[in-house]
Amino acid sequence: MTQEITFWVLAIIAVCGALVAVVRRNLIHGVFALMIFFAALAGLFLLLLAEFIAAVQILVYIGAVGILLLFAIMLTERVTGDDGRSITARGWFWGLAAAVAVFVFLLLPAIQEADLPESTQSIQPSVKALGHKLMDPYVVTLEVLALLLTAALIGAVAVAQGAEVNKKEDSDDA
Amino acid sequence: MSFELVVAILIATVPLLAIFPSLFALTTWLERKALARIQNRRGPNKVGVPCTRIGLFGLGQPAADGIKMLFKEDIVPKGADRLFHLLAPILALIPAMLVLCFLPLDFSFLAVWDESVAKDIKAVQGFALDGAVIFFFAITGINTLSVFMAGWASRNKYSLLGGMRAIAQMISYEIPLVLSAVVVVMMVGSLNAKEIADAQVGWNWFVFTPWGLAAFIIFFIAALAETNRSPFDLPEAESELIAGYFTEYSGFKFALFFLGEYISMFAISGLAAVLFLGGGEGPGVAGYPWLAVVWFLAKIFSLIFVMIWLRGTLPRLRVDQLMAFAWKFLLPLSILNILVAGFAHFIPQGNVVAKVAVWMVSLGILYAAAKGLNGLSRAEVKPREYKYAQ
Amino acid sequence: MTLEHYLILGAMLFCVGLLGALTRRNAVVVLFSIEIMLNAANLNFIAFWRFGENPEALQGPLFTLFTIAVAAAEVAVGLALVIAVYRHFKTVDLEQLDTLKEE
Repeated sequence: MTQEITFWVLAIIAVCGALVAVVRRNLIHGVFALMIFFAALAGLFLLLLAEFIAAVQILVYIGAVGILLLFAIMLTERVTGDDGRSITARGWFWGLAAAVAVFVFLLLPAIQEADLPESTQSIQPSVKALGHKLMDPYVVTLEVLALLLTAALIGAVAVAQGAEVNKKEDSDDA
Repeated sequence: MSFELVVAILIATVPLLAIFPSLFALTTWLERKALARIQNRRGPNKVGVPCTRIGLFGLGQPAADGIKMLFKEDIVPKGADRLFHLLAPILALIPAMLVLCFLPLDFSFLAVWDESVAKDIKAVQGFALDGAVIFFFAITGINTLSVFMAGWASRNKYSLLGGMRAIAQMISYEIPLVLSAVVVVMMVGSLNAKEIADAQVGWNWFVFTPWGLAAFIIFFIAALAETNRSPFDLPEAESELIAGYFTEYSGFKFALFFLGEYISMFAISGLAAVLFLGGGEGPGVAGYPWLAVVWFLAKIFSLIFVMIWLRGTLPRLRVDQLMAFAWKFLLPLSILNILVAGFAHFIPQGNVVAKVAVWMVSLGILYAAAKGLNGLSRAEVKPREYKYAQ
Repeated sequence: MTLEHYLILGAMLFCVGLLGALTRRNAVVVLFSIEIMLNAANLNFIAFWRFGENPEALQGPLFTLFTIAVAAAEVAVGLALVIAVYRHFKTVDLEQLDTLKEE
């Protein structure tokens, strides 16, 4: 009973947070609605007994990705929605139609006609088992992920700094 | 939800809500007195018993401060975002208090009337979660969000700049904080706060090992920076950006920020006590379980006293010195510490000579690395370039 | 709650993200919407892990962990690109960034 109530509350918060983040004119309000969405999703992960993933979701998404998005908004156009500019692209109606069509005609029938397992398995959530799995069969994936993150870090710093380095070289030549 | 379960939840959480705010009041008094003595003056000693002239060493000062904050006018700037201006102090307090339930303070000894209630309490406690330490760090990371909200919602250039600097400082120091805790987790093999505390039975606390000592120092420095405490208090210093991100706050909202900062100080000291100082261990715990709570609070209090002492002694770091300290000094040192921990653990130490040798070598490596990194990250003082004057 | 509830929730969140990615003008909002889509996919993974057979193989949480890490890396690089574009064109409006188009 409490599980059902929790699921419905978290589901409604998640959908509302995502909708507000996508629709809102003021970008900062949008980012905070997105963080509420991430938090609701972390709650859903806890309900599904994936504790470690819930903690990682809060740590990475709310603590890091959200702050990154806020800094990016500060460094680009800080849209607070005060002017009357349009927020939607030119073909927005077809975008809306495509999203609704994907949901109604593609995803919903696939879910309803699938042969889904009914009951839940009994799981002992354990971080130690996750650690063992990361070291034993999936160690190569872990190393490739580390390489990817290093490359992304170096690439992001290089791309964001690019213009200044070029300007400095030009002024040295002249 | 049976009645016993509700009683168990209440016993597990209400003592925390009772102890830590009263500890907060005591700490504000202690801070003012201790800072005053360091600065060769006396501190508050007039406010004692109300309506009399008896000043009990100024112990009534926290109550007086609280009443003053409650009665101040609540000013919201005209162009400010009202919703966020209200939410920011609340969002600063909630993670700080939520994170207190991940500290292994076992209150099941309070259930003296029924054994099954004690079992229920043990089942409900948050520190027995499989990933308690990770949840601690995850929820402490939400503080950055409230700082940004406070800086943004005040519609004040100085608040915004102060907020941005505070966030940059907090996210930079989160990494050495987590990495120095990773060493302990690696040695114990579990993220469970109760297991980490139980692995330090007797006197083999992790702070008495070479890698534990270095990790404790790094953790403590990073904890000072996370809670914006001196010498890292650039975001809230009065002589810097006015008061930084809480310039526009007055009255009860300011009191909430203040409360949030002190409670997160308690929470991080609590985690330091669990990870390194064997939280709850001390003489006489086996016989009387309530002594574990007393020892834990004593350790937290001594760490808070060291923080206050550092505030009165060290000067403030400049913002570029702060960032260089985190990225170029603490981060490589904490990564090296993980390697040294592996080395110190797996070399067989039979007799005392081998133990002393391993200690020396580990400390030698860490000291040499610290000196080397210190030399590398010295800020160069270049001759000044003038942009406009020729 | 049955698996169907979680999957329908995941599908709905995915379509909200798709709506944002196809409709909005601002490049940063398109990046938000991509994050929403990735999170909806993570929800699907964990739901299938919980209700499916052989939960000891821990494939759900592992895949989700990798997805979270890759999504964080992608957001970092994407935002660096958006900042570089803003510095050059002084706008992040996707309708105005059409210099490759024939006039």
